Amino acid sequence: MFFALTEEQQEFGAAVRDYLAERFDLAAVRDVVEAGPGDDGNPAALWTAAGEQGWTAVTVPEEHDGLGLGLVEAQVIARALGAGVAPGPWRGTVLAADAIRLTGSDEQRAAWLPRLAAGEAVGAFTTRGSAADGLPVVEYGAIADVVVAPSGPDAPGLCLVTGASATPAGSYDGTTRLATLAGGTTEPLPGASAGLRRQLTDRATVLVAADLVGIAREALTRTVAYDRDREQFGVPVGSFQAVKHALADLHVGVTMAAHAVLYAAHAADTGADDAELAVAVAKAKASEVALQATAAMIQYHGGIGYTWEHEAHFFYKRARRLAGQYGDVASQRERIAALTV
Amino acid sequence: MDLTFTAAEEEFRSELRSWLSAHIPGEWTRPGFWESLDDDESFRLRRDWEREKADAGFAGIEWPTEYGGRGGTPGMKAIYDEEMVRARAPRTVNPLGLAFLAPTVMAIGTDAQRKEIIGPLLRNEVIWCQGFSEPGAGSDLAALSTKGVRDGDEFVVNGQKVWTTNAVHGDKIFTLVRTEPGSQKHRGISMLLIDMNQPGVTARPLKQMSGASEFGEVFFDDARVPVSDCLGEIGDGWRTAMLLLSFERGASGISQYTEFRRQYDEIAAVARKLGRDTDPVIRDDLARVLTELECLRLHSMHVLTQVEQGRDLGFEASMTKLQWSETFQDLWEVYDRILGEDATLDALPDGTDLRPLHAQAMWSRSVTIWGGSSQVQRTITAERVLGLPR
Repeated sequence: MFFALTEEQQEFGAAVRDYLAERFDLAAVRDVVEAGPGDDGNPAALWTAAGEQGWTAVTVPEEHDGLGLGLVEAQVIARALGAGVAPGPWRGTVLAADAIRLTGSDEQRAAWLPRLAAGEAVGAFTTRGSAADGLPVVEYGAIADVVVAPSGPDAPGLCLVTGASATPAGSYDGTTRLATLAGGTTEPLPGASAGLRRQLTDRATVLVAADLVGIAREALTRTVAYDRDREQFGVPVGSFQAVKHALADLHVGVTMAAHAVLYAAHAADTGADDAELAVAVAKAKASEVALQATAAMIQYHGGIGYTWEHEAHFFYKRARRLAGQYGDVASQRERIAALTV
Repeated sequence: MDLTFTAAEEEFRSELRSWLSAHIPGEWTRPGFWESLDDDESFRLRRDWEREKADAGFAGIEWPTEYGGRGGTPGMKAIYDEEMVRARAPRTVNPLGLAFLAPTVMAIGTDAQRKEIIGPLLRNEVIWCQGFSEPGAGSDLAALSTKGVRDGDEFVVNGQKVWTTNAVHGDKIFTLVRTEPGSQKHRGISMLLIDMNQPGVTARPLKQMSGASEFGEVFFDDARVPVSDCLGEIGDGWRTAMLLLSFERGASGISQYTEFRRQYDEIAAVARKLGRDTDPVIRDDLARVLTELECLRLHSMHVLTQVEQGRDLGFEASMTKLQWSETFQDLWEVYDRILGEDATLDALPDGTDLRPLHAQAMWSRSVTIWGGSSQVQRTITAERVLGLPR
């Protein structure tokens, strides 16, 4: 029995966190947030690091210059990027590569996988809309070199979209840029099927859940550190039982969500019988706990936590957006009920 | 990531499984069977069965062979716990002795204590009670006031314990006693191993809200215990108690998951029978509980991994207690909502007996109190794990 991250996997996550702490901290995130939708939201130095350090190559096969690792390793990176509320099209790039790896032709793989792995090309992935009718709300759609999208509204197919025209979509989550896409050139991914499309959506869901776990853990850690020192009524705020018990419950919740996401990644990688349930459980739990932890971050920082100057809103706003992506708490619970009631 | 057990562990599982299927009477697995017996009859059946189980070599799974155990791995112990639940085997009659006292005696007992205590425990010849809680000291364990006064080679003990599991069926009690007059809090306490079959000890059952009397109260009135029956150093009982409680961690979560998941399925079946399975609120409730149950399963696998690697989980054990007890309670609150205005009936109109399920629902009110209340576990987690100030 070994249900934990290996040392190598932990080091992978630590490397991402270290890079963000040293080279792209919350002050740098603020620059991106405050630059607004006119800016592409993809700082060059951070994106170069993503390519050089293998973050974008994680699930690409070695024959296409990737690391040939699985979703378990990818969720380690996603969690670290969530903890840093890091901007940039990492997740879309990894998911586009996954889709091309699983459903593309040999030519499509050869054309795209090495470039996506190296961070030379930006990828995007969406399950909403259709290439035929337009794509609403694509993360980093404006800078994506290639977008993986549904072919038509009801078709099981997926296709590659290139050269679409992008219109930025405003969002109060300033850590991510969104755009609607129309037109462009489409080519089908020949291996796509309803089953693979669901698998790809599950993998996307796991990476979003991992980002949420990273957000939740960091929000809690920062809040605990603040309440350890901040004094009111002559004592640290963190010595009040009402505060302690709320933060203890969050610690349990975040830990459980991390277990759930780790297992969901493993189940998705291995095609386990309970993969669908595992993904729904992971997303439901991660969404719920991230909403709670980021709201608590504001509450337990007091008034300062509600200000623009404080970073709490980066975490809160990103959690709000991701909690709803690929199915919110209620819809994931409905999936769970359909499987178990 | 490796979520499988070893070949040897799986072999143990199939050996145990076939033994269990051959030795558990069919009627025992009928829902409500154990609730239909009185406490004494239930205790007698369970005690006899456990002796049979020990004689067949299915006791002390993870204990060293030198103590008569099987010398198994933590994985085998997890399998053992899981299979007992799967086979609907009755719960052990000696839970506190087996889980807590035995490993503590192995760790810090004298040679004489090891010889005297462990073998009989393994065969369930001596049923052990845990004498920690007192009327004035429940969650605030260090507030205990039971006194032991030295008289030659013996301590003379006076005081009262409460919420003592198996009080009326117990043979011996490992108990915390203040042996230094005037000492405060954690100091001056000793852990004494007291014979309950003596004139100075009286045990009375306490009737619980479920109607059963699994626990009771124990009175010491000049009870006598040899000084050699102190476990650990005299006056150092707090440290002995903390070591003893640290054995609470381990693999039990996997068996709890197995049991709770079966109960979840039973409750979902009641929802279907009543047509409540299409109610979106009930579906959301059930899915929320299932989410927490799956988290318990995965957390238990993580804990087992840590135990197998010899890591001490320490205060993280509070998290395990919170997760299982709060989830279990939530499950049975959902059950009540499924029944709606019929929540208190003994049977459904079609005759389905609800009393065994109600017994679990009542029991669920106790699990967030004993073994350290949820509030105590949250304080421990906040202070010892998160490092918030006291």
